[in-house]
Amino acid sequence: MSLRGLFAFRGQSSSRTDAAMAVVAFILFVALWYLLAYFQFVPQRFLPLPTDVVVALWDMTVYGDFLRDIWISVARVWAAFLLSVVMAIPLGIWMSSYRIVGTLTEPIIDFIRYLPVPALVPLLIIWLGIEEASKVAVLWMGTFFQLVLLIADDAKRVPREFVEIGYTLGARNRQILKDIVWRAMLPSTVDNLRITLGWCWTYLIIAEIVAANSGIGHAIWSMRRFVKTPEVMAGILAVGIIGLVTDQLIRYAHRRWFRYL
Amino acid sequence: MANPNDFIAIDRVSKIFEPIDHRMAPVTVIDDVSLDIREGEFVVFLGPSGCGKTTLMRMVGGLETATGGEIRLAGERVTGPDRRKGMVFQAYSSFPWLTVYENIRFGLRYRNDVDAAEKRRIATHYMELVGLQDFADFYVNRISGGMRQRVAIARTLAAGPDVLLMDEPFGALDAQTREFLQYQLLGINRSERKTVIFVTHDVEEAVFLADRIVMFSARPATIIEQIQVGDHIEGERELETKETQAFFHLRNHVLEAMRVQARRTEEIERGAAG
Repeated sequence: MSLRGLFAFRGQSSSRTDAAMAVVAFILFVALWYLLAYFQFVPQRFLPLPTDVVVALWDMTVYGDFLRDIWISVARVWAAFLLSVVMAIPLGIWMSSYRIVGTLTEPIIDFIRYLPVPALVPLLIIWLGIEEASKVAVLWMGTFFQLVLLIADDAKRVPREFVEIGYTLGARNRQILKDIVWRAMLPSTVDNLRITLGWCWTYLIIAEIVAANSGIGHAIWSMRRFVKTPEVMAGILAVGIIGLVTDQLIRYAHRRWFRYL
Repeated sequence: MANPNDFIAIDRVSKIFEPIDHRMAPVTVIDDVSLDIREGEFVVFLGPSGCGKTTLMRMVGGLETATGGEIRLAGERVTGPDRRKGMVFQAYSSFPWLTVYENIRFGLRYRNDVDAAEKRRIATHYMELVGLQDFADFYVNRISGGMRQRVAIARTLAAGPDVLLMDEPFGALDAQTREFLQYQLLGINRSERKTVIFVTHDVEEAVFLADRIVMFSARPATIIEQIQVGDHIEGERELETKETQAFFHLRNHVLEAMRVQARRTEEIERGAAG
């Protein structure tokens, strides 16, 4: 294993080296944390030992209700995410296909896109109550308007030649969309979906902290009241682990599906 | 079918681009061009970059509309693109998510006149014609640029077009590959007997491939000279043809005419800038 590439300006390194460095970074991070906490550079009330956090996570999931909270949060994220996806994909492709759709919707979408989602939470609670609908709506507001523009852009970036080849092979508009545009944009669209799914978690925690009696966000928030720092950090850790695992799974699927890239 | 002498009739065609920014003046790209192309003829459109020769070819393909005049294919007015007018582009010519065979097969996807077994047979035939049978299952990102253009040619032929429109198809290739593909294209066309419109700014390519060279002026495009290459170079074209006196003379003649146009283009650009 050559390490020189790691230190050279704009150098190259193998994926094996990269993986090893990721482990090194993780160990250094945890070691530093451990030292800070163990020698009480930071009071343990604020910074518990890493082991305390792991133990807290274990206790919460095995003896507490945390698994139920995780399940509810995951369900909310995926419900809102899938709702965004099934709406954004057709609309995005439609926006890029017809100027009339694009020019009519883009200004409104751009406006809504810049509204900070937390500012909409009170309004959504007034409209939809504090049940599941308002939480899904918060996530949907946070992702749909971003995603639809990303999808429209993916469709627009399909080379004009591909579409013209379709016409000269006798395809109709619908066939060009299905057989050419959709296939050509798919790899970058899957990437955009992966990134959007990450945003869902950000908005989920906001929604669950403001108004919820279940879910990871709610769990974190209620532990805070008793200053159970290890449990609060365990909740955060759980979100991180779920996010990382999902992200890696989608990356893996991307590599499998789009071998030709 | 109408008179075979005007299989493709370009009849007093003009094209004026209205700029999207309405403060800018409209640009005349093609000015009153008329041209007849026989069935089975290999015509090369030669002209300086940006002169409008590609636009004219795209109009034959139905991908652009004329602002004046009309174009007829086999007596029928061209109103839009379809399977009868096959196209090969310089770039983005084959689909990366399909293999070589699947790309060629895609050319038959929208044909209802042949069944699945026949589609397989036709696709295989054209894959062999361009010599890619050993690469059938390769994704096109894994093969060279020259092979990719051969995929595009095979796919277009598989669709069964009446006319093959080629927009600088070898422009992005290195010199050796380009020469090889030019030679291969001649061979393919000997067996296929397609009517071809081939756009290029490469003089040697034009002289080597064409039955007839149509030389265009700098913008707006008008026809300045037409050359029946067969009047100057006899017999079948082979790679050695490029080393003959006749080839050399014709090439020099065309090159000189193109130089004049290149200078004019520069003057026009300078005029527009100043």
